[in-house]
Amino acid sequence: MTETFRRLHRTATLLAVVAVHLPPPSSLPVRVPPALFLRQAAAISQGLSSSPQPKGYSVRWLPGPPEGRSATVQVSGLSLVALGALQSPAWRAVNWNRVLAVYAGQGNSTDLPPMVGRYRIHEGFLSFEPQFPLDPGVAYRAEFRPDQLPGAHSGQSAPIVAVFKLPSIREGPRTVVQQVFPSSANLPENLLKFYVHFSAPMSRGRIYEHIHLRDALGKEIELPFLEIDEELWDPTMTRLTLFIDPGRIKRGVLPLEEIGPALENGKNYSLVIDSAWKDGVGKTLQASFEKRFKVVPPDRDPPNPAGWKIQAPRPGTRAPLVVAFPESMDHALAQRVIHIVTEAGEVLPGEVTLADQERQWLFVPTASWQSGTHQLVVPTTLEDLAGNNIGKPFEVDLFEGVQRRLTTPTVKLRFEVR
Amino acid sequence: MKQIATRSLLALLVLGLFVQGAHAGKLTADMKEGKPAFQSMGPLAFGPEGILFVADTKGAAITAIATGDTTPAKGAKLLKVDGVNQKIAALLGTTADQVLIEDMVVNPISRNAYLAVSRGRGPDAVPVLVRVKADSQPEVVSLDKVKFSRAELPDAPVDGVVTQGNRQNNPRRESITDIGFLEDRVLIAGLSNEEFSSTLRAIPFPFKTVINGTSAEIYHGAHGRFETRSPVRTFVPFTVAKQPHLLAAYTCTPLVQFPIDALKPDAKIMGKTVAELGNRNRPLDMIVYQKGGKDYLLLANSSRGVMKISTDQIDSVEKIEAPVPDGNKKGLPYETVESWTGIDQLDRLDSQYALVVRCAEGGSLNLEALPLP
Repeated sequence: MTETFRRLHRTATLLAVVAVHLPPPSSLPVRVPPALFLRQAAAISQGLSSSPQPKGYSVRWLPGPPEGRSATVQVSGLSLVALGALQSPAWRAVNWNRVLAVYAGQGNSTDLPPMVGRYRIHEGFLSFEPQFPLDPGVAYRAEFRPDQLPGAHSGQSAPIVAVFKLPSIREGPRTVVQQVFPSSANLPENLLKFYVHFSAPMSRGRIYEHIHLRDALGKEIELPFLEIDEELWDPTMTRLTLFIDPGRIKRGVLPLEEIGPALENGKNYSLVIDSAWKDGVGKTLQASFEKRFKVVPPDRDPPNPAGWKIQAPRPGTRAPLVVAFPESMDHALAQRVIHIVTEAGEVLPGEVTLADQERQWLFVPTASWQSGTHQLVVPTTLEDLAGNNIGKPFEVDLFEGVQRRLTTPTVKLRFEVR
Repeated sequence: MKQIATRSLLALLVLGLFVQGAHAGKLTADMKEGKPAFQSMGPLAFGPEGILFVADTKGAAITAIATGDTTPAKGAKLLKVDGVNQKIAALLGTTADQVLIEDMVVNPISRNAYLAVSRGRGPDAVPVLVRVKADSQPEVVSLDKVKFSRAELPDAPVDGVVTQGNRQNNPRRESITDIGFLEDRVLIAGLSNEEFSSTLRAIPFPFKTVINGTSAEIYHGAHGRFETRSPVRTFVPFTVAKQPHLLAAYTCTPLVQFPIDALKPDAKIMGKTVAELGNRNRPLDMIVYQKGGKDYLLLANSSRGVMKISTDQIDSVEKIEAPVPDGNKKGLPYETVESWTGIDQLDRLDSQYALVVRCAEGGSLNLEALPLP
């Protein structure tokens, strides 16, 4: 991202527009450092428009550091009297934007308020620093109104306008949907969630318009997902959690009324992410993504670690420990919550991957395996694809008395490295 | 979440009028002055003394801000801003499509509206607090130097030291779906982006420590099962049989009542389902108000007009324990106010009006006051 904006910045000055004939350096109210003056002059020479000004006022945009998205508006040519009045205690903060206002976009300034930011008088200049970063591709119009200066007469001088624009984000690699979990093409009727992984950060807001569940005929399933305004993203905004609406998951023998379950045993569906969805920099996805799957009978059995097969590695190697589950597990939870504890009781650092449609958990330690007894620690919060926890099914039906609660929050499986 | 329930509100207001002199500033006395850090701003709620609670989902924290906005409202000027999203975008120097209004609440003292806004939609989005006063335009609330206190919610458990490729992070996050304040507690409803679990927390205020989330179990009539983990979408504190309760609306809109005193660390509580409001919609916001001496709930949701729910029988309504077929309704009676369409945000403005953010034609959002039905 930083590199992107560095690139942007290199060309930003080319788009800076300064709308005056800049007075020669000798006529500036204060001395401008030669390097700064040259920078401004370069920007002016590339200016796209200019208009004659009677009083020698100038309005210019000074781009901020290359890594940022900031720029400052600077007005020069103010008289000592005006500068003094602007610094006087009698000058009220609410009057600043009558004198100098910056508008995002080229809209009619009478309809929309100007941007918020900080005004200062410094070294003979009036400057305005926007409070928020500037957006690439948006035209920022600074409007200086000399007739609003303290002591000025109305109609004394026409407004002077200068426009600044960071170039739009250049085409880079377009964002794609990298993977959807569960990765299996056969999913239980009471599937609880999908994880959608993107190659780059995405944007929030009305995302559910871009996510579709369709049946074998391409017909849209109505409201299949739990739509939450907050949206369930990971901190990097590259993974979205998509819960099937619990009101649309078929339960037991009771059919859901009115709109029925989202998924039904024996039928084929596709989860579609459409390409109109914009990523974090406002570009649409490179292509739509489709995951086709068949729905199989519901899974109402809590996962049972007693049935897992552990393939222990040899000491002195960094060969993976392989744990095979009889069913697919929730990708995110299996990746995060299962861990290994050494004989000394320490958590073993290493890298976890899942394979075989999330039916295999592989662990490669950072350092070679040491001989001895280890424990695979499995918190009971681990879920299978239907949201059943260890020792507790997703649907706890008190009428049927299905209530199995574990007092211990983890299950430990021993294995020997030898 | 919005304001506290009418009955409690009235009690607090009356109490506030008489004891304000003695207690003024008591709740803000231990706050520090400075610039609170926010990674995001989500649900908002007002407490007494102009204290605004701001939920920060990314930062997993609740910040209490002493707004100092404690001058009682005067006059009958109503808030109205057409194209409020466009005006906020202009203030923030961006385009309207880059502005998300996350929540809106009314300060019950000054009747000014506060909006939690996200400037930008990507991971670098900047949270901004915006205020709208009666007969005025939106303004950015400066948080550079305010009195505040912050309660961090328990972090996601770190389960082993594992990496994914070169990344070493914890992708788990707990989203805050609603917050509220009642008497001396901040109430927080949360939902994880990994394990499917709904938590309700009650944190004593002024903040000291944050207790563990309390798991909530409800019986959801339309589903025919005990819903152990369905997330709370929106809630209001409400007094039932002289005891403080939460009325929580879940997805698919069963309305469930919890005794607040049962929200204790590591407790399992069973909510009482008091209304089944039909399928196929998603509750957004809920307020309580009084009309003709009776208490009503007003529930905005995604697919219907707003629902006006009578609470007359709430003390005695029978618990819904059997499945409610055919998307039927059961429990507390309600009527649908069809004319209230496109409601995104809802709060009570005063005893006569609600304040809403509603979607107008062309995608523009309007902030406007509507007479309470």
